[in-house]
Amino acid sequence: MYRTFLSWRYLFARTTNLIGMVGILVAVGALILIFSIMTGFLEESRRAVRGNLADILVEPFFDEAYSGIALPTTPERALAVIEAHPGVRAAAPMITWHALFTQGGSQKGRFNKFISDASHSGMLGVKVVGIDVRSAERVAQPAFAGTAALLGMTYRPYVVRDHFAASDLLRALLRPAVKPLPGLSGDEAVAQPLFPFATPAEASDKARRARLGSILVGARFFDQLGLRKGDVVQLATVSPVSSDEQFTIVNREFVISGVFSSGENESDLGQVYIERSQLQDLVGTEQAFSQILVRLENYDADGPAVAADLRTSLANAGLIVGLPQEVRTWEDFRGNLLGAIKNERVLMAIMLSLVLMVAGFTIFAILSMMVTEKRRDIGILSALGATRSGILSTFLLVAFWDALIGSVFGATIGVIMALKIDPLERWLSGYTERWFGKQIFDRDVYLFDHIPAIVDPVAVAAFVTLAFVCTLGFAFFPAWRAARQNPLEGLRYE
Amino acid sequence: MSDADAHGALARTTPFRPVLSAVGIRKSFAMGDRRIEILHGIDFELGAGELVALVGSSGAGKSTLLHILGLIDQPTEGKVLVAGMDAWAESEAERAELRNHHMGFVFQFYHLLPELTALENVLLPVMISHSRWQYRRRAAEWRDKALSLLERFGMVDRRDHRPSQLSGGERQRVAMARALVQDPKILLADEPTGNLDSATGDRVLDLLFQEQARRGLSMILVTHDATLAARCQRTVYMGDGLVQGDSTTPVPV
Repeated sequence: MYRTFLSWRYLFARTTNLIGMVGILVAVGALILIFSIMTGFLEESRRAVRGNLADILVEPFFDEAYSGIALPTTPERALAVIEAHPGVRAAAPMITWHALFTQGGSQKGRFNKFISDASHSGMLGVKVVGIDVRSAERVAQPAFAGTAALLGMTYRPYVVRDHFAASDLLRALLRPAVKPLPGLSGDEAVAQPLFPFATPAEASDKARRARLGSILVGARFFDQLGLRKGDVVQLATVSPVSSDEQFTIVNREFVISGVFSSGENESDLGQVYIERSQLQDLVGTEQAFSQILVRLENYDADGPAVAADLRTSLANAGLIVGLPQEVRTWEDFRGNLLGAIKNERVLMAIMLSLVLMVAGFTIFAILSMMVTEKRRDIGILSALGATRSGILSTFLLVAFWDALIGSVFGATIGVIMALKIDPLERWLSGYTERWFGKQIFDRDVYLFDHIPAIVDPVAVAAFVTLAFVCTLGFAFFPAWRAARQNPLEGLRYE
Repeated sequence: MSDADAHGALARTTPFRPVLSAVGIRKSFAMGDRRIEILHGIDFELGAGELVALVGSSGAGKSTLLHILGLIDQPTEGKVLVAGMDAWAESEAERAELRNHHMGFVFQFYHLLPELTALENVLLPVMISHSRWQYRRRAAEWRDKALSLLERFGMVDRRDHRPSQLSGGERQRVAMARALVQDPKILLADEPTGNLDSATGDRVLDLLFQEQARRGLSMILVTHDATLAARCQRTVYMGDGLVQGDSTTPVPV
């Protein structure tokens, strides 16, 4: 009984113990706060690195002259094989092609400008992606289900085989521009995200009469060229279909129906979306697809395994040649960057744990001091019948309360601060801007306009545990010294 | 005085039973290369209900002997028998329990814990011998017992004061209450009035002797004050690490 009672009394009777407690509090709080922000940054960066990439990309090797295998040019059989895998939620075919993107009107001046300054001429090389958007089915499904229910029939909704199902396109259409780009007011977003290729209200009558196809443009690219929704633009490219084995130059006008923002620079700067049928028609090819996007039920659980399964089953069905690069996960594309991010997180946790070591040293110093000061008390306790182990645990308990109170309050404060870091920083920046003319977090530097923080309960528990281990580990030496002390040393003198 | 007389009569009429005895005690310390021997082989017996003054000049080894008898210090040679049991042959936990249950200590410098109130200091031996749940169950009972002891020593009004807020005499009364709270058989007092003025010291001693007589305690009082020793029924003289004389030779049974 005296161990708890006495350690508790020592804890509050002595200011130095409270200092040790505050040390642990600050260490645990800071650890959780910084780690949460780091996790937030890394998660946000991971999202930015991923952009619009689907979970798995199937890219058959069509070069028959090289592989000696003729693959089907339509995607249906491959889609059937892919969708048969239980880990697959959705798949969608697409075609990618490259083109020059120019604004409408006279092209001569633009060409001269392009020669001297390619990036500011309004004539840019872009990656054209032809995608399927089956919005009508998507919208009709709930209606069918409702009607079927009314008629007492069962209607099993199916996954619509389009780009919305297989990729994050919808999010890229819904997301406001990453940060308020000059000239982009937000009105440029797609009016109805589920119908991205609907002719926009801003389109001219001329464009409407000509029944021009619609095009979605990346946010940064849109901004750089000073485009507006409803503008008519031209894609110019070459068609491989020719009677005399030469390329034919083809071009076609499109009307801009909206802007997407994936958060990843490469696609936001150099990618446009049109309908797959439009692209196939423009290029005039038999080839109905070049890639198939695959979305999995749970990529984090079994992504690479499903990719390997798909590679085998597609190769067995004669739908791909069987090369490793024909079926890739999104991480295969961005492997290096992700590896670096993961390393940073681990390194960060290790470095931050040193803060706890410092707190542990503080406890060590404080408790050592206390044991020296309390020689007399140790002698008294021993004379009154306390055992060595009782004295050891009394002093260990002092450290235990320090760790308990410090880490519980530290964790609480750390978690609250992590969850409220953005308003907190804005409030603080108000002062720092007034006094030093600088904000704490410069939002122009990053792709995101807030400080991201993700509180990981496992990490919080781990840090609290670590705080306990560290504190008790460091406290053991002075406590052991107290237990080993000869009781007489404390009793002889005043 | 009448108490002491009555007690003396009792001691003479009852057969002698040693409750605490030292057999061939030697104690030496290492001082660099040399060993300095403080006690050169001491035999001593404390009878039940006996009040013994241990007298000698400074450095005679009185306190060392008392600490050895109180199981706080380990003899280099010899045995300490508590109720016939060789204490240093027992486990550390066993000795701790003997100290806690059977012995009360009163020190020259009071030795109260500064962080605890007077009442908490008195209760400390009880807290040491009981687990949290055992103590909780009888907490009120223990508290009443401690308060009645404090009341007996005139300290009940100061129960919530810290030692630093008490005078020397008051501190010693709290220390006496602490020594008696477990109802020990043996009381060991190491110059309990050594740090007090004579008037205060006399009052404290009166209380101590009253309790010794009332409870029939076996008590050793270490002192270098001859008048104080005269108030005890038996006096043992120490000098140069040996027992030089004993005022009464106990009659073996």
